[in-house]
Amino acid sequence: MIILQKNHEHKNHYKKIKEQDFLKKKISNGSILTISQWREVEHIIQAQEIDVAIEFSSDACILCENDKLSKVAMIQINFKTFKDGRPYTFAKMLRKKHNFTGELRATGHIIPDQYIFLIRCGFDSVEIEEEHKETWLELLEMDEGLYYQP
Amino acid sequence: MVKKLQGEAFLLSANELRTGKVVFFTKKGWSSSTREAIKIKADEINKYEEISIREEKKCKIVSAKFVELDDAGNIKTLRDKIRNCGITIKI
Amino acid sequence: MYKYSDTDKKIIASRVKQFENQVNRRLEGKLTEEEFKPLRLMNGLYLQLHAYMLRVAIPYGELSSKQLRKLAFIADKYDRGYGHFTTRQNIQFNWPKLPDVPEILNELSLVEMHAIQTSGNCIRNISSDHLAGLTINEIEDPRPWCEIIRKWSTFHPEFSFLPRKFKIAVIGCDEDRAAMLVHDIGIRIIKRHCQVGFEIFVGGGQGRTPIIAKKIKNFLPKKDILNYLEAILTTYNQEGRRDNIYKARIKILVQELGIERFKSLVEENFSKLSNKELEIDKKSIEEIFQYFRLPPLKSSSDKIPLEDNQEYKNWIKQNVIPHKIKGFSIVQISLKEPKKPPGDATSNQMKALAKFSEDFSFSEIRVTHEQNLVLPHVPNKELFNLWSQLKKENLATPNLGLITDTICCPGMDYCALATARSIPISQKISNHFNNYCKQKEIGNLKIKISGCINACGHHHVGNIGILGLDRRGEEFYQITLGGSAKEDAAIGEIVGPSFSETDLIDAIEKILNTYKKHKKNKGEDFLSVFRRIGIKEFKKDLYDNFTEKS
Ligand code: HEM
Ligand code: SF4
Repeated sequence: MIILQKNHEHKNHYKKIKEQDFLKKKISNGSILTISQWREVEHIIQAQEIDVAIEFSSDACILCENDKLSKVAMIQINFKTFKDGRPYTFAKMLRKKHNFTGELRATGHIIPDQYIFLIRCGFDSVEIEEEHKETWLELLEMDEGLYYQP
Repeated sequence: MVKKLQGEAFLLSANELRTGKVVFFTKKGWSSSTREAIKIKADEINKYEEISIREEKKCKIVSAKFVELDDAGNIKTLRDKIRNCGITIKI
Repeated sequence: MYKYSDTDKKIIASRVKQFENQVNRRLEGKLTEEEFKPLRLMNGLYLQLHAYMLRVAIPYGELSSKQLRKLAFIADKYDRGYGHFTTRQNIQFNWPKLPDVPEILNELSLVEMHAIQTSGNCIRNISSDHLAGLTINEIEDPRPWCEIIRKWSTFHPEFSFLPRKFKIAVIGCDEDRAAMLVHDIGIRIIKRHCQVGFEIFVGGGQGRTPIIAKKIKNFLPKKDILNYLEAILTTYNQEGRRDNIYKARIKILVQELGIERFKSLVEENFSKLSNKELEIDKKSIEEIFQYFRLPPLKSSSDKIPLEDNQEYKNWIKQNVIPHKIKGFSIVQISLKEPKKPPGDATSNQMKALAKFSEDFSFSEIRVTHEQNLVLPHVPNKELFNLWSQLKKENLATPNLGLITDTICCPGMDYCALATARSIPISQKISNHFNNYCKQKEIGNLKIKISGCINACGHHHVGNIGILGLDRRGEEFYQITLGGSAKEDAAIGEIVGPSFSETDLIDAIEKILNTYKKHKKNKGEDFLSVFRRIGIKEFKKDLYDNFTEKS
């Protein structure tokens, strides 16, 4: 798997936190937490200089009014199926309602034909199979930047 | 593919990927006629289901389905008859 | 008529290229059918019983002669010489081949047409009143608003993977000729305290759970329309059910939450997320309106020619209505000639109509949701001439609004989802009631026929609705009575056990006899009588000496 950010390829620096590490509250740079884990450890992390991420499943994109995201470096949304359109609206909410300014990443079942939609809704990066990279780039290339929506 | 098949004998049918044309599975591959279509018994369904998945992967056909036959060996349902013979109205 | 800007042209052209890429990837096996399906649907391409089917949008039902000629060309070159006009101002081609489709889309783009979002779980083609801009009691022409919404909804990055399809209709007067109240969102232009704005309805639909839309907004200022639509769609995309395809439409969400709760969610999104850039200023409204101005029609005192020809007189009486400009008429062309599938037109008919529209109607054609066509601006003095030419093309059937003007879906003859055929039923009806005087005596009556519960043939809102069912392998037809798709929208009531194909006409005759028996005066139409006497009388007459089937 690789991370594609527009047309740049990156290595993935994030990894889901292991259950036993979480129990010991061993949160390291690059840990991916669930939202409930985040709520539990938020106060610890606020004081540390580490990048952590939260993962949502596309069918459970829910945040509370008082969830604070300012110390979250990355939010990753795992698409159960590419037909699930909720994350597009969730991305808008994250940016507009929760003022999330970190990296927003799409993972799971997504297809290259959705790349532009994802970017336009506020996603920064996608996690994809390396062998599909060319198709993703090709479809990005085909986009002429002309849209009907602001 | 349709599960819970009831009947005793079937044909394997599909639409050609490129043209959408209705085709039936024969010993020599897909044909638009039922004449040489392989008659499939209920206990062979699994085998032919695998064949249809393989054929779909080869990008030859889509939407494979089993067409039920009646006791006389003819296509049973109206829908499948229309699929085979074409629309019933003049245009 | 609307004309594409350079941006429109580029966006459509780039979509054609993109779809070509998708088709090639599919043919090479790089896309599975599961992945390809939503992509092809977003380009209007279905797989039907015997072939692919391509649905082309006719936004708000407006066509130029050039566009109609292109449709005829496509029917000839890539199909079997005909097309089917649908109930949502689209046209369907029944026999295209997958590798040809990008080329067809390219041909369409040359005349500013496309098949974008005519299917799939996205915002569909925006539909409207086919008499938009033509009648006196209109508050404002709805077409510019349709165009504004069409643009906003096209390739909307956030709303292209909704729980289910999403249909919007806009009308500009009290009369509803667009079945607005059975749409996911219905918009009516209204005037309040000298201000023109919108009344918004939400959660209407047909299918297996027919529901009349509920009002969500009494008055919305013009500038807010896109932000308000966006707030509704945001709510739906987030909250709409995705666990069960039959419960995924917005109507179910509205029903489950209740309109008040739904409304409060929408209002919250509207107030928190509204985007200044989506507000429409006066100038851009005016710009769009420029495209929809009437052609230069000089009003005159020209009368409709009187000819001593009964067929012509019938046609004038039935199919021709006055235009808001004196001296002109609106000519409705019935696509319900006996023996033909309702809504079908051959390529020759399309070509002929393109020519007639150039000769008699400023090159304009409209498509109605009742599967007919309209020549919108015909000078009165040309009517006999036009009629004579229409007649040669079998386009002068005088049955608008009568019993043989049926709405009918493709049914099992084409459709993979059908439980019974529908076209043969409509043909039986038109043969049986072929006589104009007999039809006239029955009066205004809408029969609507669907080949399955999905209700593409609008049976729920037919005065008489007919739904095809499968009864242990046999086709049976369930009858509903009292539906309406107009401003007094209503869902029909099931009259009782269903009928075999053979018994169906007899049943319809009995229903009509009940109607005739209770009719108070000549002008009282079927729906009025039904509403006055209720379904019981019909039941009694229909099933009394009828061998009841369970
Ligand atoms: C031939 C291929 C077609 C297929 C596979 C198809 C499929 C469907 C389905 C599944 C529904 C139910 C949707 C739901 O309730 O969520 C539906 C509704 C509908 N279809 Fe079709 N349809 C076809 C053709 C047509 C045609 C030819 C027309 C017009 C004559 C049409 C117009 C409509 C309308 C107006 C509705 C109901 C309104 C609504 O609730 O959305 N469709 N269609
Ligand atoms: S109502 Fe049913 S049979 Fe008719 S077109 Fe729609 S899905 Fe097909």
